[in-house]
Amino acid sequence: MRLPRKLWFVAAKDVLIIAKDRGAWMSLLVTPLLVIVVVSLALSPVYKGGTLHGTLLVTNHDTGSVGQQLVDAVAANPGVTIQAASNSESETLKQGSSTYAASLVIPADFSAKVQAGQSSQLQIYEDPNSTTSAPYLKGMINSAVNRFSAVEVAAKVAVTEALKQNPAAGAGAVAADATAAAGAQMSSQPIQVVSQPAAGAKELNTFDIETPGFAVMFLLFGVLNGAEGLLEERDRGTLGRLLVAPISKSAILGGKQFMVLALSITQITLLFAVGHFAFSMNTGNSRAGLALMVAVTAFTATAFGLLLAAVARTRRQAQAIGILTILLMSALGGSWWPLDIVPSFMQTLGHLTINAWALDGIKGLILHGKDFYDILPQAGVLFAYGSACFLIGIKMFKFQKA
Amino acid sequence: MADSIVTAENLVKRFDKLTAVDGVSFTIDEGEIFGFLGPNGAGKTTTISILSTYLEPTSGTATIDGFSVTGEAARVREIIGLVPQEIALYPTLTAIENLRFYGRMYNLGGAPLERRCREVLELVELWDRRDGRIDQFSGGMKRRINMGAGLLHHPRFLLLDEPTVGVDPQSREHIFDTIFKIRDSGTTILYTSHYMEEVELLCDNIAIMDKGRIVAAGTLKELLKLLGEGGVIELEISPPGCPVGLEEQVGAQTGVTSVRREEDRLLISSDNSARSLAPVMKVLEGRGCQVSNLELYTPNLEKLFIHLTGKELRE
Repeated sequence: MRLPRKLWFVAAKDVLIIAKDRGAWMSLLVTPLLVIVVVSLALSPVYKGGTLHGTLLVTNHDTGSVGQQLVDAVAANPGVTIQAASNSESETLKQGSSTYAASLVIPADFSAKVQAGQSSQLQIYEDPNSTTSAPYLKGMINSAVNRFSAVEVAAKVAVTEALKQNPAAGAGAVAADATAAAGAQMSSQPIQVVSQPAAGAKELNTFDIETPGFAVMFLLFGVLNGAEGLLEERDRGTLGRLLVAPISKSAILGGKQFMVLALSITQITLLFAVGHFAFSMNTGNSRAGLALMVAVTAFTATAFGLLLAAVARTRRQAQAIGILTILLMSALGGSWWPLDIVPSFMQTLGHLTINAWALDGIKGLILHGKDFYDILPQAGVLFAYGSACFLIGIKMFKFQKA
Repeated sequence: MADSIVTAENLVKRFDKLTAVDGVSFTIDEGEIFGFLGPNGAGKTTTISILSTYLEPTSGTATIDGFSVTGEAARVREIIGLVPQEIALYPTLTAIENLRFYGRMYNLGGAPLERRCREVLELVELWDRRDGRIDQFSGGMKRRINMGAGLLHHPRFLLLDEPTVGVDPQSREHIFDTIFKIRDSGTTILYTSHYMEEVELLCDNIAIMDKGRIVAAGTLKELLKLLGEGGVIELEISPPGCPVGLEEQVGAQTGVTSVRREEDRLLISSDNSARSLAPVMKVLEGRGCQVSNLELYTPNLEKLFIHLTGKELRE
């Protein structure tokens, strides 16, 4: 099928307008890139682990050595800094206001009770506003306590066996020696768990997770600009002028939508390219699959923009409806966080959005090693979604001013 | 006598309950400037929209150069040029980029397009500003480029919808000069305005519109004749209940050609208002009417509009 020449002239005119509009380039490329980089770098510790950190405020009242051994064991973990507390600082955290994520209070009789085989209690205060450091520090303390409990049990068994072998030895002296030996083992971990990526899997890169979601969201914002541009032409009278020129309505609308589609494909491709070349973002094993997902996502977004222009009566109305819809779709559809962390009914609801289907396909390729044929269902759903939006948009769009 | 290029018969356009054009009929001869004069909301733009194929009439027919604006819209679009009331240009593009784009819409291209862009820019006297962005132009310059965009394809019939709205007097003069040049090149022009001076200056034939209807049409001379060639006497009389039948008695006086009464006003057209004044005043005095205000004037379109519609042109 040969497209009319005038369709290309309309598209070329819009390209010329966009090329001169620095604000458009800011919103299409610079803003998305900045957001993706900032979010990816900021959330890197959450997704990758290992680099979490926090300062533990320690109030050690213990008169023996066990309390200090426990503190040393906690301090041996990566990212943990120990700060000895003054009484006032300790009180401050109890009251819920401190610059520290967590505080540990070791009682005066901690060593004595442990050595006597009695139960002892450690007190931890957490800052509820510290959503990552406080749980991390608490985990490290629990880990040290568990290790200590394990070696303490071993020491008791050793004492019992030593007294059986040599009843003449004093129980207290043997117990003290055993506890000291156990303490020395605190910092060592006889069994260690080493994790590494499964065979063939690449190391997780937060850009793999964040780039597709934000790219789809900003793609939708890009087509919102296109919708506003269409309504602006109607309001300004240039659309009316074209309607009385020897050019068909389909060529006018086709040219404008073609430009939006081309710009959408360019935008998402450039975002992925920068992610790949500058931040080592994984692009999966199927370039054809990724190209298909980019094309079909851009098509659906373009059709969504046309529907928006058809539904809204004015440019301001399109802006208001568009921003609300895009933010809702982005939240529901997994642009801001992975859909697998939300409740199942939200996942179902999310799949009413363009974002969810686009991200299922794109992330399937990037994160889960899927190939071209695996993502055809997602591409098919998106194409059907886009086609429906396109047909309704064409049917409803009013070329003439109200 | 020139042939008619435009014929409109009983055009009606309704928007829900509003009738914007209500049974309008007229013809426009080839090579003339035909004016629609009327206040905002009179139906001028709606009539232009029907002729330019932008709107379909609810009923009635119109042809341009023999082509129906409804059945042969594509043919009509090739021979007309529209200069809309709004500045229908792309503000971030330059003057010549705008003209090139619209030229391509009219199937121009290559060297002929470039040549025509230059001719049009020279016609509107903005060739030296061809690379300036529209959003950096003055209101008058924008209007001239707006007009130029409608001329690129040498239209046989040009529709100018209030092309001088919001422009300074100097730019207005530029626009008038351009319109005369376009007319002289053989293009027929339909010009709408609510400024009677413009219509008086530019138009060979004039249709006065109000509330969607043409209330009078003809040459300027023919229209002014409706008020009487010698002038108009306008009187405010009291009491309001001045005797019935007063109009007939006044109408019988020397030189009086017509009398119209609107509550406490009498509009008297005369071949010679100075000569008619004394006998008219005598009649009024004899019938016990007091004259609280008297005005003598020579006929003009403004007064004619008031005479025909009972309201000011700019209301």
